Amino acid sequence: MAYALSSPSQRVSSRPGQMAAVLLIALFLGVFLIVPAGTVIYTAFTEKGTGTFTFVNFFDFFGTDLFVRSFWNSVYVSGMSVVWATVLALPLAVITTRFEFRGAIVIQTLGFVPLIMPPFVGAVAMQLLFGRNGTVNLLFNDWFGFKLPFMDGLNGVIFVQSLHYFPFILINLSTSLRNIDRAMEEAAQNLGASGFRLFRRIVFPLAMPGYLAGASLVFVKVFDDLATPLLLNVKDMLAPQAYLRVTSVGLTDPMGYVISVILIAVSIFAMWVSAIAMRGKDYSTVQRGGGGLSRRQLGPGESVVAYGVVLLILLLVLSPHIGLLLLSFATVWSFSPLPDAFTVAHYGRVFGESSLYIKNTLIYASLAGLIDVVVGGAIAYLVLRTRIVGRRWLDWAATSALAIPGVVLGIGYLRTFYGVTLPDGTPLATLWVMVVVALAIRRLPYALRACYAALQQISESLEEAAENLGATKLRTVRRIVLPLMMGGLLAGFVTSFSTAAVELSATLMLIQSNSDAPIAYGLYVFMQSPAGRGPGAALGVIAVVMVALCTLLSHYVIERRQKANGMAK
Amino acid sequence: MLKTIAVAMLVSAAGLMTAYAQGGGKVTVVTSFSKDVTDPLKAGFEASNPRFTLDVQNKSTSSGVKYLDEIKANNQVDLFWASAPDAFDSLKGKNLLAKFTPAVTGLPDKVGSYTVNDPDGFYFGFAASGYGIMWNERYLEANGLVKPAEWSDLTKPEYFDHIAIAAPSRSGTTHLTIETILQGEGWDKGWGTLKAMGGNLQQVTERSFGVPDAVNSGQTGIGVVIDFFAFSAQASGFPVGFAYPSVTTVVPANVAIVTNAPNRKGAEAFINYLLSEPGQTVLLEPSIRRLPINPALYAKAPEGFPNPFKDARFQSMIAFDADVSKKRTDVVDTLYDQLITFQLDNLKAATRAIHDTEIALAAGENAQARALLDEARGMIAAMPISADQAASAEIGDAFTGGDQKTARQAELEQQWAAFATEKYAAAKAKAEEALALTQ
Amino acid sequence: MDAMVTETGLAGSAKEINIRDVDLFYGDLHVLKNVNLNIRPGEFFAFLGPSGCGKTTLLRLIAGFNTARNGQVMIAGKDVLGTPPWKRDIGMVFQSYALWPHLTVRKNVAFGLEQRRLPRAEIDRNVNAALDLVGLRHLADRRPAQLSGGQQQRVAVARTIAIEPKVLLLDEPLSNLDAKMRVQVRRELRDLQQRLHLTTIFVTHDQEEANTICDRIAVFNDGQIQQVGTPMELYEKPTNLFVANFLGTANILNGKVSGAGTAKTFLVEGGGVLPIPEGAGVPENGRLVFRPQYATLGKAAEGAVRLPGTIVHREFLGATVRYGVKIGSSEVLVDQPFHSGASMLETGTAADVGLQPASALWLAA
Repeated sequence: MAYALSSPSQRVSSRPGQMAAVLLIALFLGVFLIVPAGTVIYTAFTEKGTGTFTFVNFFDFFGTDLFVRSFWNSVYVSGMSVVWATVLALPLAVITTRFEFRGAIVIQTLGFVPLIMPPFVGAVAMQLLFGRNGTVNLLFNDWFGFKLPFMDGLNGVIFVQSLHYFPFILINLSTSLRNIDRAMEEAAQNLGASGFRLFRRIVFPLAMPGYLAGASLVFVKVFDDLATPLLLNVKDMLAPQAYLRVTSVGLTDPMGYVISVILIAVSIFAMWVSAIAMRGKDYSTVQRGGGGLSRRQLGPGESVVAYGVVLLILLLVLSPHIGLLLLSFATVWSFSPLPDAFTVAHYGRVFGESSLYIKNTLIYASLAGLIDVVVGGAIAYLVLRTRIVGRRWLDWAATSALAIPGVVLGIGYLRTFYGVTLPDGTPLATLWVMVVVALAIRRLPYALRACYAALQQISESLEEAAENLGATKLRTVRRIVLPLMMGGLLAGFVTSFSTAAVELSATLMLIQSNSDAPIAYGLYVFMQSPAGRGPGAALGVIAVVMVALCTLLSHYVIERRQKANGMAK
Repeated sequence: MLKTIAVAMLVSAAGLMTAYAQGGGKVTVVTSFSKDVTDPLKAGFEASNPRFTLDVQNKSTSSGVKYLDEIKANNQVDLFWASAPDAFDSLKGKNLLAKFTPAVTGLPDKVGSYTVNDPDGFYFGFAASGYGIMWNERYLEANGLVKPAEWSDLTKPEYFDHIAIAAPSRSGTTHLTIETILQGEGWDKGWGTLKAMGGNLQQVTERSFGVPDAVNSGQTGIGVVIDFFAFSAQASGFPVGFAYPSVTTVVPANVAIVTNAPNRKGAEAFINYLLSEPGQTVLLEPSIRRLPINPALYAKAPEGFPNPFKDARFQSMIAFDADVSKKRTDVVDTLYDQLITFQLDNLKAATRAIHDTEIALAAGENAQARALLDEARGMIAAMPISADQAASAEIGDAFTGGDQKTARQAELEQQWAAFATEKYAAAKAKAEEALALTQ
Repeated sequence: MDAMVTETGLAGSAKEINIRDVDLFYGDLHVLKNVNLNIRPGEFFAFLGPSGCGKTTLLRLIAGFNTARNGQVMIAGKDVLGTPPWKRDIGMVFQSYALWPHLTVRKNVAFGLEQRRLPRAEIDRNVNAALDLVGLRHLADRRPAQLSGGQQQRVAVARTIAIEPKVLLLDEPLSNLDAKMRVQVRRELRDLQQRLHLTTIFVTHDQEEANTICDRIAVFNDGQIQQVGTPMELYEKPTNLFVANFLGTANILNGKVSGAGTAKTFLVEGGGVLPIPEGAGVPENGRLVFRPQYATLGKAAEGAVRLPGTIVHREFLGATVRYGVKIGSSEVLVDQPFHSGASMLETGTAADVGLQPASALWLAA
């Protein structure tokens, strides 16, 4: 009753400006996400041959053992990846946020690097290190006479995925931990709690919103990722099945698109569940008083253990990059713990071409990141701060981009925009701008989560204070909300930027000429021949270093901004 | 700013128009070939045709086909350049290729027993490659394995879990090999061989290059690959070896002009260059190592370079019936996926049980166990459909969406997978029963 | 309720707190300077001072959240500085209450007891007793966010006393409450403390709070304890200008001491001479201090000294009328009782301020 009474007034309160923002974003998502993906995915609802509308394909999905098995395998792998990613992220997050720990910034940055894994070369490097006959297993076999199947079957996928995606948990959990009011922890200590119990009962539950945000992202990403299982030759998972069917030559098999629909549904469902779980757990507004978590000094013994754990985890999560580095300097690396010899020739080979690739990558990825931050920030504001109709739909639509396979989006873009021509007859789809838009759409969910987190941490009373002093909504956003959100926005930008910089699947469809190609495409081209393995790895190293440097720079900027705002401790 | 862009576009468009009219400008080619192949040929082409520049767009064969299909309304691509003939056939079926008669004449019609060119003149073979077995020397040595020489070797117990192959549904060249075995040995016996080999597989890769990649790095010991993968790996210094079995297949690599090519003249020039002597000579470079289609060039070839026009191994290949192949392409690929690729764990478990029993029987023969073992082998070899059914419109239309279908593709797949699951489990049980008898 | 307290044993034997020679630094900042303090068993003790004076720092040192460079904090004769906070058995109520939002009221209160691995039944009994004590048992299953500020504050107290701490620390516990609640809650706190007979330290910047409920007060300024005493002592006998000013309203006049021995007088700047009573300590450069209600206007009582001045403003406060009187360059306040029908002095009129030398103090700046 109360709701019914209050809702008209809420509707009245949505300003024309907000209305316009909703419409603009809806238009953007509609034109660049829903229509292109829809034109492709519609196949899922048609009968092969006749094209008539039907749901029979969905019955087929659940009637096919392979698909049902794939579905549960995907659920299992995603769930276990979350578990292992947690195991990796938790110690790093806790040690760097709760203790006086030298190099916390370095660890936070290095902990981000696993997300920047160029396609193909990462998997090759992982195989060379952890594969059946990789470095570790060859040494194990020599020393102990046995091998560990790190990379075999579903366990291999779980292993690689948890190394790859654990930064999502690390980033979100660290932010949450930092924002816990230190009195919360002190109150528990005062009542006699310490150590693990204090963490389990008080600190971790309070950091839960951040953890859930990260964990749900890991779950969805692993659920939708097709590259890793395919490169490990695991095919009975959903995303690889979708890919295999969508890209098979000469066939139009609706099942590939049916699986895409299922992927989207599961992803949105997972996000929805995490949103439900987080409801009422937005503790930032409940907590008052200043200061983040108190940092404790480590004793000498504790220091040794902490540094040991941190180094071990970093070694593990950075092993693909270490392998990549070795590979880029290797002459031949085959069935041996280390390469036969080292050379810098590969760098020489890619040197000439890489500058073009780097330039393109920087332009595409930073533009995509910029679009993501603007759109993501706007959606986050509309959802969290207004009651305008349809704001949730914007959120769901943007999030669904997580689940749309890149190749589906790529085909959708060709289908939708190839018919649209520019004055000189070139199709719209061939412009490099479309690559930027495709990358922006693909990475929008990442930036959106970061914007949410940033906005959630700003107390609404700060905005109310501004409005109370006579500032309009727009002015409040510009003068109060944006400056305070800047750290979160930058974090979102960094995530979008760095992952877009190594994205291939959508771009492979849309790249129209070598001069427009980003670095991931160059990698792909190299990695098709034995002689290209070294140069490919060299290009991969260049990509990782470049993106990591940009990330470090942004971290530095964020730190400085927060210090300037007095938000840092 | 916008104005400048618009002006620049108009100028470049005008420039392109004049360039095309004079027979020059940018020639756009979509290819699945790696840089190692395209770079020398691009250099050679541009040297002999200075007015043209070749713009190479790298795409996997399958996404290349999809790409051409999606952009047909406003095509900007001149050439499609890849290995697998089935991809070209698919494009031809969709009217995405243009007819052309190359200026180069006097090239043979057949290499081995495979027809080089499309009989209708839509696509042209410019090189050939032979299928064979590649291995990693260090891997074989570490595992105490001898080099396999024949396809039948790959069914032996000692190679269990040491072999990789690309899925025929993903690799047109593998598909040809599978089809060759099926045509050569007959439907039932051929599938028996494929499944016996399948039981020894360590992995079925999704990309053709995945197989040589795994062998190069030593993750797997033996791979079924096209020769140039092995040769170029050797040229790069990898410790790998390669052998053609006594019966091998020849796979042509093709090139075709795309319908409504914006630069038709350039496209023609490129095909003519590829088939010309200078173009063919480039194929002999160590990083490319493809077999030229011009027999005269083998005189220039380095020592040990196979000659498909003289070598008996290539001649002994059975006559390949392209029509039979075409009718059942989708069915064969799907059968392979459903019976082998997606059933690999079950198939391997059954195969391992059979190998164990075979080894036990070698120590002491037991007639009853032998009978059970043969029964188990029969179960693995059993096929859900016959050769006639595979070529029938009822089943073929399930894949193409034709109106004679009696079941949907998904239903057929489920039936075949269920069939395989059941047979492999039964075979495993039988083999274990036989093993128990030997003890 | 008393029966409940003794029955559950929530009331323990009160402990003494001794703080000796404590120096504390934040980096280079000297935050506590040679602090010495004795707090008696069962005393309700206040740390009073402006913000940044070090009072909360000392409280957190006692609780174990700060580290002293040197000195001792003795509780019941034992130095606790080497003991981590979770082993000190000191109850602390935080300014923000620090109620855990993810736990219900009951779970919040039970937390410390669970930590002590008591049997379930005993935990339940103590939680109920503690909640009864603050009158919130009926809200036990709510979450903190569903409670009002006053209720949250009482939960925070219940959570702390449930563990039967040796001493109770209250860090500005009333600052998040509205004025009316503050008065009510401070009485409740006093009652509770009396019943539990618990040595309690109460940090506040509000002298009224400290005066109304505390047995003794330590006044802090600039990291140092200025004076320790009962509210009356501090009011009547402040030992320096800071204390005099911080507790209540004080009039301060500059002037000069003249004469010697028993005939010493204080020459007030702007006119007026005050004989300095025998025994009154007058520090060098001391200033004259007196409370507004000890002065009169107009007719001066016997023995009072008259200081000539002009009325500059007037405030009606109900029971009294407060006049601002300009004497020389200084201004003093004088409170006069208000009777119905009494006439008031208008601003601008000349009026002499009458002051009994006995109610005057001389304090160093």
